[in-house]
Amino acid sequence: MTDAGDDGMAEVRPGESSGRGVALAVRPTPRVRPVVGQSYWQIALARLRRHRVAMFGGCTILVLVATAVLSPWIAPYAPTHIDLTNRMSLPSWRHPLGTDELGHDVLTRLLYAGRVSLTVGFSAALASALVGTLVGLVSGFYGGWLDNVLMRFVDIMLSIPDLPILIILARYFGGSLLGIILVITAFGWMGTARLVRGEVLKLKRTDFVEAARALGASNARIMLRHLVPNTLAPVIVAATLAVGGAILTEAALSYLGFGIQPPTPSWGNMLQNAQDFIWRTPLLAFWPGLMIFLTVLCFNFFGDGLRDAFDPRLKP
Amino acid sequence: MGAYLLRRLLQMIPLVLGISVIVFMVLVMAPGDPVDLLLAGNPRVRAEDIQLLRQIYGLDDPLHIRYLKWLAAALRGDFGYSRTYQIPVLDLVWDRIGNSMWLTVPSFFLALAVAVPVGVYSALRQYSVADYAATFFTFFGVSIPAFWFGIMMIYVFAVVLRVLPPGGFSTPGVPPGWPALVDRLQYMVLPVVVLSLLQMAALTRYTRSSMLEVIRQDYVRTARAKGLAEAVVIRRHALRNALIPIVTILALSIPALFAGAPLTETVFAWPGIGRLIVESVGGGDYATAQVALLFLAMLVLVFNLLADLAYALLDPRIRYD
Repeated sequence: MTDAGDDGMAEVRPGESSGRGVALAVRPTPRVRPVVGQSYWQIALARLRRHRVAMFGGCTILVLVATAVLSPWIAPYAPTHIDLTNRMSLPSWRHPLGTDELGHDVLTRLLYAGRVSLTVGFSAALASALVGTLVGLVSGFYGGWLDNVLMRFVDIMLSIPDLPILIILARYFGGSLLGIILVITAFGWMGTARLVRGEVLKLKRTDFVEAARALGASNARIMLRHLVPNTLAPVIVAATLAVGGAILTEAALSYLGFGIQPPTPSWGNMLQNAQDFIWRTPLLAFWPGLMIFLTVLCFNFFGDGLRDAFDPRLKP
Repeated sequence: MGAYLLRRLLQMIPLVLGISVIVFMVLVMAPGDPVDLLLAGNPRVRAEDIQLLRQIYGLDDPLHIRYLKWLAAALRGDFGYSRTYQIPVLDLVWDRIGNSMWLTVPSFFLALAVAVPVGVYSALRQYSVADYAATFFTFFGVSIPAFWFGIMMIYVFAVVLRVLPPGGFSTPGVPPGWPALVDRLQYMVLPVVVLSLLQMAALTRYTRSSMLEVIRQDYVRTARAKGLAEAVVIRRHALRNALIPIVTILALSIPALFAGAPLTETVFAWPGIGRLIVESVGGGDYATAQVALLFLAMLVLVFNLLADLAYALLDPRIRYD
C-alpha cells in the first residue's frame, strides 16, 4: 500500500541549528554520526523484522512448511488409511478432527494435503518468476521488434481470463502435480515480465550501466550482473504474493475436480464432496478451507511486509 | 478523441487474432478425436466411414488450414453444436450469459457501494482503528477461497438459520411476475455476496490508496487554505480526482466477475456461463467451453477499451492526439 511518509523534509538536528548570532563564533564541529555500513538488503531485513504482521505471516508459513515436510512422522495415520467402522465421525481421541465419508482421518489428510498445496504454490511461483524475469529482461534490454512481439504476447495472455482457461488446460493435463504446476505457470508469468521490463527500461539508461558498457562488459554480463540484481526486490515481492495466488488457484481447480485427483489429498479436493455432507458433518467442509485461507493470508501478509521493507520511499 | 478511438480499435485487431489462435489451439489440444467421440459405442461404423467423416470435418488438413476454416466459420457466427445439449453452442452460451448477469450486475454494484465509502473513510482516518479494520478486510477478501466462503455462507444461512436457499436458480412452480422475482432474489443473495467479495476487497484497497495520494496534493491544501468547508474539500476536490483511477479498476472488474463465476456458480448450482464452462469441460464438450472462453476474453478486451476511453474522458490532463 502506498503509505508515503508525511514529511519528506530533512529533520533538523539540534547540533546543526543555525542559531543567530553565532555566525562569528567558532562553528561547533558538527556532530558526526558513526557511519554504519548497511546494505540495501540489510536495511530491508531490519525493516521486515519490525513489521509485526509480516513476521506473523512468515512464522506461520514456517510452521506450515514444517508440518507439511514432517507429515509422515507426525500424522496419526497413513493418508489412504480407511477406518471403515468410523466414517464421518465427529472429533474423538482416535480421530482428532474426525473422519470423512470414506473413513479417512481428516487431520492426517490435512497434513498431507499441505505438502501438495505448498509444493504447487512454491514451484509455480518460482517458475513464473523465472519465466517472467527472462521475458521482461530480454524485452526491455533488446527493445525493438522483439520487445513489441513479446509485449503483444503478454497482452494476449492477459486478455484470456485465467480461471476458465486453467480449468480447460488442467483437464487436458489429467490433474497430475506437474501438470497443475505447468498450467498455473503458463498463465502466471506475465505480471512479472511487465514489472521487470519496466525496471530494465529505467536501469538501462543509468550511468552505472553505461559505465559497465564503456568498460567493455558484454550484454550477458550487464544483464546478469547489473540488471537482474537491481530488479530482484520487486520480483521477490511479486513471487511471494504469487505463492498465495497459486495455492488459491490449485485449491479452486481441485475443488472443481480438475486439479489433484483423489486419493491424493489436497485442500481443494477435500472440499469437493464436503459440501454434500454439510447437513450432517459441517466440520468436514470447515478445516480444509480454513487451511487454504490461513496459508494464503500469511503469504499475503508476508508479501505486503516485504513490499514495505523494500520500498525506499518509506522511512527506514 | 475520434482518432484515438480509431487507433485503439485498430490495435485490437492483432489482439483479437492472437486470442483466437490460442482459443483455437485449446480445441485442437482437446484429448480424444472428435470423430471417435462422435461415433463412440457404435459398432457398425466401418473404417471408410470414419475416413469420410474425417474428410468432411477437415481433421486431416494441416493446422493453419484448419485454423482459417475455423476462423471463417466463427466470423459467420458458426461455432458448431454442443455435444451435451445438441443445440448451437452460441445459443447455449448466450442463454447462460443472461443467467450470469443476474449475479454479476448486482455483485458489481454491491462491490462499488461498499468499497468506495469504506476506502475513502479509511484513507481520511489513516492509521485509525477503522482503517486497520478496513485493511484487514481487504486481506481477508483477497485471501479467502471464494468457494469455501460460499460453503460457509450456505452453512450459516441455509443450514443453521434456514432463511435462504442453499443453492439453485428458482423454486419450481412459482408463478411468473412478482412472485418469481421475489423468489429469484432469495436465491441471489448468497452468490452475489460471495461473488462480489473479492472485487470489493480489491476495490477498497485501490480507493484507499488513490485517496491517500490525492489528499496530499497541493490543490487539496489550496482548497483548505482558501477556507472551504472540509466536506466540500473532500467531496469536490479530493474525491472527484481520486475516483479517476478507480473508474479504470471498475471497468476491469466486470470481466473479472465473469471470470470468477465458475467457482461461485458451482457452489450455488447457478446455471450461468461459469458453471457451463465447468460442466462442459467435465463432460468433454470442448466446443462449448471454447466459445465461453472466447466470450470472456472478448469481454476483457471491450472493457479494457472502455476503461481507457473513460480515463481519457474524465482526466482533462490526458490528451490523446
